Amino acid sequence: MIEYIARRLVQGAVVLFLVSLLTFFLINLAPGGPSSLIDFTTTTAELEARLKRFGLDRPVHERYVTWLTGALRGDLGTSINQGLPVSRLLAQRIQPTLVLGLTSLALAAVFGVALGLIAALQRDRWPDHLVSTISTLGMSVPNFWLGIVVIIVFAVNLGWLPATGSASIGRGFDLGDRVRHLVLPASVLAFSLMPNIVRVTRAAVLEMLASDFVRTARAKGLREFTVMVKHTMRNALVPVVAMLGLIATVLFSGSVVIESVFGWAGIGRLAIEAANGRDYPVILGVTLLAGAIVVLLNLIVDLLYAVIDPRIRHD
Amino acid sequence: MIDAPSIGTPTATKRRSRLLRKLLRQPLGIAALTLLLVLIVAVTFGPQFVPHSPTRANALNILQPPSAVHWLGTDELGRDVFARILAGGRVSMAVGLFSMLVGLTLGLTIGGLAGYFGGRVEALLMRLVDAFMAIPTFFLILVIVTSFGNHPITIIVTVGIGFWAQMARVAHAEFKRFRRHEFVEASKALGGTHARVMVRHILPQVMPQATVLATLGVGWAILTEAALSYLGLGIQPPLASWGNMLQNAQGYLWRAPVLAVWPGLFIAVTVLAFNLLGNSLRDVLDPRS
Repeated sequence: MIEYIARRLVQGAVVLFLVSLLTFFLINLAPGGPSSLIDFTTTTAELEARLKRFGLDRPVHERYVTWLTGALRGDLGTSINQGLPVSRLLAQRIQPTLVLGLTSLALAAVFGVALGLIAALQRDRWPDHLVSTISTLGMSVPNFWLGIVVIIVFAVNLGWLPATGSASIGRGFDLGDRVRHLVLPASVLAFSLMPNIVRVTRAAVLEMLASDFVRTARAKGLREFTVMVKHTMRNALVPVVAMLGLIATVLFSGSVVIESVFGWAGIGRLAIEAANGRDYPVILGVTLLAGAIVVLLNLIVDLLYAVIDPRIRHD
Repeated sequence: MIDAPSIGTPTATKRRSRLLRKLLRQPLGIAALTLLLVLIVAVTFGPQFVPHSPTRANALNILQPPSAVHWLGTDELGRDVFARILAGGRVSMAVGLFSMLVGLTLGLTIGGLAGYFGGRVEALLMRLVDAFMAIPTFFLILVIVTSFGNHPITIIVTVGIGFWAQMARVAHAEFKRFRRHEFVEASKALGGTHARVMVRHILPQVMPQATVLATLGVGWAILTEAALSYLGLGIQPPLASWGNMLQNAQGYLWRAPVLAVWPGLFIAVTVLAFNLLGNSLRDVLDPRS
């Protein structure tokens, strides 16, 4: 087991290293590159001072080493546009993203597992078809458009919920107000996360229902409820949990778009601001943070998996 | 049998006609395919038949409701929305299809090489795939667009890169599965080169799954391009795309909410059609699922 953990840790570190290498060199070797800090009014002296300030006068591999050693100590450089340390910007912006992301994940998990279970139990009957229609829609409808549509309906026309932001301005902390701001973006994000969960749950439940141990459980006269909850669902949830890493990447991608639609000041919005303002250190920092979270989640899932299922350790 | 049946032999033809019959039993898939063909013809040839230019502004005619002259009304600059939907659809559809081709080619090549050769090549290439899978696609795309700009060709390559890793995983697994099969050994024994074995013998086995993934991939690529353009990082005005039309429309949610409806509806219907077609193809081509 310890050997397995060590091996997975090393693999995770390698992947993360590749992520940093990939993003750093993509950004720094591009023809525009960070040297596009120049505009027509910049004098040569100003440009040199600026290049020096951001360390851009040195060759790219040297800058990478400096950046990486800094990153390992938690120093991700300074934002070009905001003049603040990137790590502080990330710390400020991660909390709203976590609130939005975890709420949507919880919604998606509850509805996704429930719908997947219904679809499996009612296989090839109308509830199954309805669930499959809903999840195909969730995959096909652009989430930013759905965001705009719910803003038109619930904020503009009905006036029930606020259109943008995560809290009303000029008010202290007010839980009700926060929740009202959270409803629309979290629901829209959850709707686009759900299809994956529905599909995996349905397939897993179907597989379990066809398995020998469920037949045995039924044959020895256990109540249907016990068979479903203790034997089927408990095992069917394993593959659902196993795709947490995949869901995290979808969640991050979705949050970029949804945070922009709803003016939510999280790291997705930060990434867009940085992309529009060509703020390279921030883009690098955000991508590295997202990659690190995904790698870490995958690692945790793999370890949990190995605890549950000893066969994996010896693979 | 010494060699595997390859495309063009009588068995392959028979197999294909059987597949066609199976596909015909998928009403949703057929409907989706028909709709997509209509859409592709409409966005390809439609703009020639619409009397309005998608880019010519008319200050006297802004934000008109739908009428006999302007079927879907006009936008904030007085441009005909129907003409822009067709022109934008041409861009969105082209980006979707070409991005998928980029992702498909990259994924099949790299995943195929990794699965076929195994060993160190496999370890290196698959760690690269892992790294790409670890970066949330949208962040990766942001990184590339920020560095390389947003020329339509860049957008196509970028969106394709967002999709290749998934394809590489599938190709890797399949090439690995087939490399020890008898028909591969047989072809090698007959003097077939690695390239010949990979392209002529293993690739056809992988194609059904790749086709399904590619069909779903086009839908995904259209969604991604739309999201990028909506955020102002994709296709730039005055060139219309369904995504940047939505971006413009968001400024007029209070005055003309209907402007935001059309482009989104077209994206949703197109992507839905690709997804339904992909699911039908999966039922037909991939007996394991």
